Amino acid sequence: MAATFFGEVVKAPCRAGTEEEEEEDDEGRRETPEDREVRRQLAKKREVRLLQGQTKTSLEVPLLEKYPCSKFIIAIGSNAVAFLSSFVMNSGVWEEVGCTKLWNEWCRTTDTVHLSPTEAFCVFYRLKSNPSIFLCQCSCYVAEDQQYQWLEKVFGSCPRKNMQITILTCRHITEYKTPEAPSSLPSPFLKALKTQTYKDAVCCSLLEQPNIAHDLPAAVLSYCQVWKIPAVLYLCYTDVMQLDLVTVEAFKPALSSRSLAGLAKNIPQSTEMLKRLMTTSEIQSNIYT
Amino acid sequence: MASRYDRAITVFSPDGHLFQVEYAQEAVKKGSTAVGIRGTNIVVLGVEKKSVAKLQDERTVRKICALDDHVCMAFAGLTADARVVINRARVECQSHKLTVEDPVTVEYITRFIATLKQKYTQSNGRRPFGISALIVGFDDDGIPRLYQTDPSGTYHAWKANAIGRSAKTVREFLEKNYTEDAIANDNEAIKLAIRALLEVVQSGGKNIELAIIRRNQPLKMFSAKEIELQVSEIEKEKEEAEKKKSKKST
Repeated sequence: MAATFFGEVVKAPCRAGTEEEEEEDDEGRRETPEDREVRRQLAKKREVRLLQGQTKTSLEVPLLEKYPCSKFIIAIGSNAVAFLSSFVMNSGVWEEVGCTKLWNEWCRTTDTVHLSPTEAFCVFYRLKSNPSIFLCQCSCYVAEDQQYQWLEKVFGSCPRKNMQITILTCRHITEYKTPEAPSSLPSPFLKALKTQTYKDAVCCSLLEQPNIAHDLPAAVLSYCQVWKIPAVLYLCYTDVMQLDLVTVEAFKPALSSRSLAGLAKNIPQSTEMLKRLMTTSEIQSNIYT
Repeated sequence: MASRYDRAITVFSPDGHLFQVEYAQEAVKKGSTAVGIRGTNIVVLGVEKKSVAKLQDERTVRKICALDDHVCMAFAGLTADARVVINRARVECQSHKLTVEDPVTVEYITRFIATLKQKYTQSNGRRPFGISALIVGFDDDGIPRLYQTDPSGTYHAWKANAIGRSAKTVREFLEKNYTEDAIANDNEAIKLAIRALLEVVQSGGKNIELAIIRRNQPLKMFSAKEIELQVSEIEKEKEEAEKKKSKKST
């Protein structure tokens, strides 16, 4: 332990390990049955469950094994979800085929049984007129330890390669590493990251190093890269992470990509629907005016 | 690197950043948009109204405040910080009038607010004010003024500017559309402010608040009806412009 100039205590690792310290560590490492039970219960609480469409019964096989698809569009985060809801889902008839239900510390409730849809669900839809086109709306946060489970439940352990994945998500602009000052960046803006097997043109510039993708989008992209599935991530850097009209409209260039082309038909109506979505989901907070 | 130099306001990072000031500028972006336009004979302040809770008294949620009879300001950022700054500015306006027997100039009160903000970037144990302000008014010489301050304590005069959420989008719109013709007429300046806000406001005219000061006249707040009228005029003009465009192309 060390105290800094400002009085904060910082835990610094000690390289001079002594025998006594190692013994103490060993004692701490021995697991009691109680520990094991707690760990088991926690794992059960954090289990990702795949539920089938309307019946909400558990689905035992991976989703894409039961419903093979050629195009899979995943929206992660409120702005990406709003974009797909107003521009893509509004222009066709989609049926809900399943959802994943999960709980983690990010959920605002400790009740793991009665979870609200936006807190803990990723909902999967299929286009009725073309059942090989799939869509996923994910507004909840999938924690690091749940991402692999999510991928297994959705894609399975041996996925088909003849499908194309498009992921849409947002990130705060302060996390964009660039020599330019953050205030000079034209926020919001779109960047793309794709797997090696993705050969189509992307509708914006590629994400430069040392910037990286994070969380579930990164997990999906890594999975696709390993399994040689063509996939592209469209990452919108914005300074408004809550539902925001300008941020949602920043995804519009993605409509020209091959995976989304033809899915968005009525743009003026979509813009109207987007404005309605904004008014219904305004959060009232008095801290900022 | 940032995490070691962003705790105390008085610490510079090795590359010369005061991270708390920069983080305060992020807090400003969490407030809704405000736009200010300096016309030839008018100054206009337009803001995106915050959505008010059902049981909340709307009159107590204000983004545009008068500092004196001839000066008013709009802010974006932390509500409580704005209240403190506005109170201090109002007291200073009256104190100046009592001492010097002249009302403050717009530049004077802007400098006062900016100096206050700067003090909080150089004090131990205090954090900067998390607000940016647009200050408008007419001086005794009859010249319209528009100033903007930010959490670092800098202030600049502008012809037109925007602060808060999506300020960049609004500023780009203003850069394209602010012309001498656009602001020659009072009504055109008001329309320009509303058009700029409509670019980013979530739900159209009913979420816009507008205030104007004309030369030798007190501050005037527009009613919801007056704003709706302006918005419908703007929409008509847009439709006509689009019809003309489609005629030309055919």
